[in-house]
Amino acid sequence: MKYAMLVLKNLLRSKRRTILTVLSIAVSLFIFSALVSLPAVANRVLSDTASSVRVACHNKAGVTYSMPEAYKQRIAMTKHVVAVVPQSWFGGIYHEMSDQFPNFAIDPEQAETMWPDWGVSAEQWQSFRDLRTACLVGPGTMKRFSLHIGQQIQLRGTLYHFNVQLKIVGVMGGKAPPNFLVFRRDYLEEAEGRPGLVDNFWVRVDKSENVPQVIAALDEGFANSSAETKSETEAAFVSTFINQFKFFFQLAEVLGFVVVITIGLVAANTAAMSIRERRGEIAVMRSIGFTSRTILSLLLSESLLIGLIGGIVGCGAAFLVLHLFAVGASAMGAFGDIQMPAFVLVGTLVIAALIGILSALVPAMSASRRNIVDALRTVV
Amino acid sequence: MDSKFAVDLEHVVRTYKRDEFEVHALDDVTIQVPESRFVAIMGPSGSGKTTMLNLIAGIDHPTSGRVAVGGEEITGMKERDLAAWRARHIGLVFQFYNLIPVLTAFENVELPLLLTNLGKAERREHVETALKVVGLADRMDHYPRQLSGGQEQRVAIARAIVTDPTIVVADEPTGDLDAKSAEDILGLMVDLNQQFHKTIVMVTHDPRAERYVDTVYRLDKGVLAGVEPGKRARGAEAAEASA
Ligand SMILES: Nc1ncnc2c1ncn2[C@@H]1O[C@H](COP(=O)(O)OP(=O)(O)O)[C@@H](O)[C@H]1O
Ligand SMILES: [Mg+2]
Repeated sequence: MKYAMLVLKNLLRSKRRTILTVLSIAVSLFIFSALVSLPAVANRVLSDTASSVRVACHNKAGVTYSMPEAYKQRIAMTKHVVAVVPQSWFGGIYHEMSDQFPNFAIDPEQAETMWPDWGVSAEQWQSFRDLRTACLVGPGTMKRFSLHIGQQIQLRGTLYHFNVQLKIVGVMGGKAPPNFLVFRRDYLEEAEGRPGLVDNFWVRVDKSENVPQVIAALDEGFANSSAETKSETEAAFVSTFINQFKFFFQLAEVLGFVVVITIGLVAANTAAMSIRERRGEIAVMRSIGFTSRTILSLLLSESLLIGLIGGIVGCGAAFLVLHLFAVGASAMGAFGDIQMPAFVLVGTLVIAALIGILSALVPAMSASRRNIVDALRTVV
Repeated sequence: MDSKFAVDLEHVVRTYKRDEFEVHALDDVTIQVPESRFVAIMGPSGSGKTTMLNLIAGIDHPTSGRVAVGGEEITGMKERDLAAWRARHIGLVFQFYNLIPVLTAFENVELPLLLTNLGKAERREHVETALKVVGLADRMDHYPRQLSGGQEQRVAIARAIVTDPTIVVADEPTGDLDAKSAEDILGLMVDLNQQFHKTIVMVTHDPRAERYVDTVYRLDKGVLAGVEPGKRARGAEAAEASA
């Protein structure tokens, strides 16, 4: 600890240089941690929501094409299927166009069996089944619009030319996406004039090992029919959305590393310069009796500190920005609960420490071992 | 080599290789400096004075021969042990003061004490004493750039004596100072020698130095060319004789 003063005084030797180095490391690690968080967040959304026994069955032509509601009975009769819930996207808004959040209609009967992980109580499911205008709302959306249970709300149709009047009967928690709103499809059907179409069927299978068999049975069963189907696990279903961004995620990761390496080289150059300037002083300290090892650890502590401060500043800023972004952008649905994953936080600080130590290692080693007499002669 | 001398060099040779040439910076030098003496090493530029001082200070190694300081042979010591030995026994003063610019006078003087087991309070006490001895107790919080050359050299001397070393070695300590400051520094060295009985080995160009020291060792082209008593010693003898 008695050396702390030495390290600090040397850091403040050239304040501008130290501050610039810290800032450049901070900026690079800000970019790095923000970029690396994106795919990580997307992956976490996947692993959080995807249940291993849920299968999504949608139109083979694409997720935006609908299917006849009559498929429900055929799917329900398939071996190993425990529950079927048809789903239709409503895409309504609360008041303004900017008030977007994911909302859709589902059949109420088997919803509780399908989504036990939504944290909805038995009484609330019961109310959902009893009341034709009932809806369940995620905690994020509840908070965003200051809603409460029992409240009557109106969703304005954007894809549909009508609005729906809903009553909130429960709040979703658990693993439910925080911004969803679900209401009953029989209400939607009626308002629409009963076209009998469905966007997607959710299918619950008895055991996860039977999932491939069910997927095959469904897709073969509907082959050559008016709407052929493509079924996939929930994980795969969610990832078809996320995979659209996969290339960008990879690019983001690569760019993040490039930025870090670039700044690492700049930091190495700065460290080499600052150590070179002090060769004479280092020789004097060694002539006083400081060992090479003590000198080396002093020099490395300095640059470790620079790296870590840069890391904390950069990573902290990214953490805050992501958080603010998440608060402002809950309309993004599943991405609404974006937050820097712990491993990115820890990883970024480790990288910050590595930048600090590695950037100074070579010049610090050679300066601390240099022949004292030579150093005194040439520099002094 | 058991030695009762403060400095004991036996047949010391130091050769530098420069390209194909060998430079004999020191060529078979043998000297003994008794304890508590203030001695000067004098000679023309390039005669090997600094080389000799570096060997005594344990920051350079002889090509052959033996070096003992404070009764301890340092010729074969390992680098780590030698560093610890320097911290305990040697106080170094350089021509250009070589203070650490980012540290205050106090912190510069405290530097060698960081290598000891002394606590903060004890270190402060030692530093204050050393700065008092060199007459700079009122400049403790000044940075080197806020001090004159003479004051910087005093701080450097305080740094050299703060650990109470066996021997103080100084390489042209007055070489960069004006006449007045140079006299002050020489006077300070005499005080250190007389009041605290420090052995001081000083390399110098400065003819004035002869008046202050006990013995002058003259080097020429790496060879010991003569050993003479300094004028101080002669003055003391004269005073004794007339009494
Ligand atoms: N590291 C070195 N490499 C080559 N030659 C050296 C080195 N150090 C000293 N010398 C040579 O050794 C001789 C003595 O040098 P030095 O002890 O510095 O003399 P002084 O201090 O008396 O001026 C000089 O000729 C010098 O050039
Ligand atoms: Mg010299």
